[in-house]
Amino acid sequence: MFHWLEKNPFFFSVGVFLVIAFAGLIEILPNFAEASRPVVGLKPYSVLELAGKNIYMKDQCIACHSQLIRPFKAETDRYGQYSLSGEYAYDRPFLWGSKRTGPDLHRVGNYRTTDWHENHMWEPTSVVPGSIMPAYKHMFTNVADIATAYAEAVTVKNIFKTPYGDEIQPGVEAFEAHKPAILAEAQKIAAGMKNQDVKDAVKAGNVPEIVALIAYLNRLK
Amino acid sequence: MQSNAALEYDYSVAKLFTYTAILFGFVGMLIGTLIAAQLAFPELNYLLGEYGTFSRLRPLHTNVVIYGFTLSGVWATFYYSAQRVLKVSMAESKFIMFLGKFHFGLYLVAAVAMVLTLLMGITTSKEYAQMEWPLDIIIVVIWVTWGLAMFALIGIRREKALYISMWYFIACFLGVAMLYLFNNMEVPTYFASGGVGSMMHSVSMYAGTNDALVQWWWGHNAVAFVFTVPIVAMIYYFLPKESGQAVYSYKLSLLSFWGLMFVYLWAGSHHLLWSTVPDWMQTMGSIFSVVLILPSWGSAINMLLTMKGEWNQLTENPLIKFMVLASTFYMLSTLEGPIQAIKSVNAIAHFTDWIPGHVHDGVLGWVAFMIMAALFHMAPRMFKREIYSKKLIEAQFWLQTTAVVLYFTSMWIAGITQGMMWRAVDEYGNLMYSFIDTVTVLHPYYAIRALSGVLFLTGFLMFAYNMVKTMTSSRKLEEEPQFSSPMA
Amino acid sequence: MEIRELQGYASFFMTIFLVVMLYWYIVYLYRSEKKGEKDYEKLGNIALDDEIDSPPINTSDPLPSENKEQNK
Repeated sequence: MFHWLEKNPFFFSVGVFLVIAFAGLIEILPNFAEASRPVVGLKPYSVLELAGKNIYMKDQCIACHSQLIRPFKAETDRYGQYSLSGEYAYDRPFLWGSKRTGPDLHRVGNYRTTDWHENHMWEPTSVVPGSIMPAYKHMFTNVADIATAYAEAVTVKNIFKTPYGDEIQPGVEAFEAHKPAILAEAQKIAAGMKNQDVKDAVKAGNVPEIVALIAYLNRLK
Repeated sequence: MQSNAALEYDYSVAKLFTYTAILFGFVGMLIGTLIAAQLAFPELNYLLGEYGTFSRLRPLHTNVVIYGFTLSGVWATFYYSAQRVLKVSMAESKFIMFLGKFHFGLYLVAAVAMVLTLLMGITTSKEYAQMEWPLDIIIVVIWVTWGLAMFALIGIRREKALYISMWYFIACFLGVAMLYLFNNMEVPTYFASGGVGSMMHSVSMYAGTNDALVQWWWGHNAVAFVFTVPIVAMIYYFLPKESGQAVYSYKLSLLSFWGLMFVYLWAGSHHLLWSTVPDWMQTMGSIFSVVLILPSWGSAINMLLTMKGEWNQLTENPLIKFMVLASTFYMLSTLEGPIQAIKSVNAIAHFTDWIPGHVHDGVLGWVAFMIMAALFHMAPRMFKREIYSKKLIEAQFWLQTTAVVLYFTSMWIAGITQGMMWRAVDEYGNLMYSFIDTVTVLHPYYAIRALSGVLFLTGFLMFAYNMVKTMTSSRKLEEEPQFSSPMA
Repeated sequence: MEIRELQGYASFFMTIFLVVMLYWYIVYLYRSEKKGEKDYEKLGNIALDDEIDSPPINTSDPLPSENKEQNK
């Protein structure tokens, strides 16, 4: 039997495959149903928040910030209630991160405001002296991709049964119909900001990246 | 039996991958050095506008060194050594030659596309699997092509027993194929929403905790099957060949192979200790990580014992130096990893700079050293010229060794300092430090790390220069050297 | 039975099974060398003697050599 494993590349490959696949079968697959159950009262991300999440990904905030509060006193004192599995039920992908060059952001919406984020993203050292985070001034001029965020909402609604309302429907017309609602939400964020260019852009129907990102960060609670 | 007098090994594909290994090695390490410097001197974030921030460049650094440098190195050595241990030339089959060249061509396309999309911020945000879905499809084709080429070569082999290196290459192929496919299951939003938004965007099939599990099942095993398995394959071929000593115990090498295959996959969840992943999985991850020391050390000790009675070669031959130090660093990082996977240690180490420190003593000390030594060994055989300068290799060795030591020592201190400061409380139980205190205190260590990056990059440039000189203007060799590589 | 429980049993028995296989393999390796059926250490020379025209190292393999004799 071992002779065959050593001599026959096919049996050898099958053997290797079984040995390595086995851990995955046990560890990964059967756990799925349970871990994906949302906590009570969890709402799916709004389209604007999804757009903000996509900017969080585009500029890779995840390279330095985690979104996972571990169950230690030092962490709950610093960041708030430790993270629960069900809170991530609508996170595709998960954005836990693996490095905290900056602080955890899982509940940043509880203790930071629109206005704080605006100052911080424009010039981090203005609110956190000594910060080594780069300024993200380009977010104030780049326009967020709302259409793709809308497409993402449609996708998770139709394929993964994320509970969105009837306003989220496939097709470009449905997106155009929903757009005023997204802009209204952006307007609310922009009202809390002082940058005039951003306010003007939102009025003109464009959502700068910073607005979407702040909507997302405020949502993290 | 037919005459093989005119038959020679065909190194054309191995040469192509050698060129890209040098190119991507330089690019990846250059970016790495830049982002290391950015942490110490944040003004460096603004060199390239929005494309030059730490956050945009960090995934580019990891992906270019993993998929650019390391995979090029793996494939260069594969297309070189597989022919030799199977005693069959790629020139014997037009089909295999085609597969090899197609493999390289498509790889180059994918690598360039990867660099561009990541710079533009088109990413799935899953570490070491950041490429969006169109690239994933190309990567699957590349991987299948490699598999076909490998099994086709095996199919026409003359040496019936598969040498241990081939075992590891096959395992690399299978492991990455399985894990990559599972982790990159994603739905393109453009097609699922009736044509709204960007074509490139996709959402993961898994959500939250499940996504984390699948991702780290992949992330950890990308380390296993890209940074460990094929590199072990290299050392099992190149160290014996360069030193003229057969593997100390072939049986031990077979056993460590199965041990590694069995244990490695389980350890993935040690990246998720103290998270919302079920407890028993965290515990399994922890335990198996510690067990993992055994098969890893099995291979490493086997390598060191191969040099038994031949330690004089260590002073005479700089390539042996590189390889012996590589196995030593392999032992160090496979001991360090399990220590970090112990739950109480992980509570301090996780999220800190100790983790990149651990990664880099593995990738710089083990992976990069081994790949460079292998390419040096191959150069005289592929280009039929002796290695351009022995002195330069010696200098490079000491420079880079210093760099690695500086890197991991500074990051050990930085990581533990940070981990302890995060949890420090005063006499009333209040947190002693605000977060920014724990950042500013790291400045000297970040500066040391940036320096170590500059040193390692300089060493790599010496390697590249030496290789280019070897290819173009070194003394020609009449016949192929048998064991130790000739160098001037 | 709950899925978790099944998982537990499956992982336990599979681990035991693979550990037994691994030890059996060790026994097999040493026994087949003792009986003279195989010489594993010789396989290490595959890396050393790897010219394209040098003869294959592996000649102790019982199956192909039997076949060769039949073919003669």
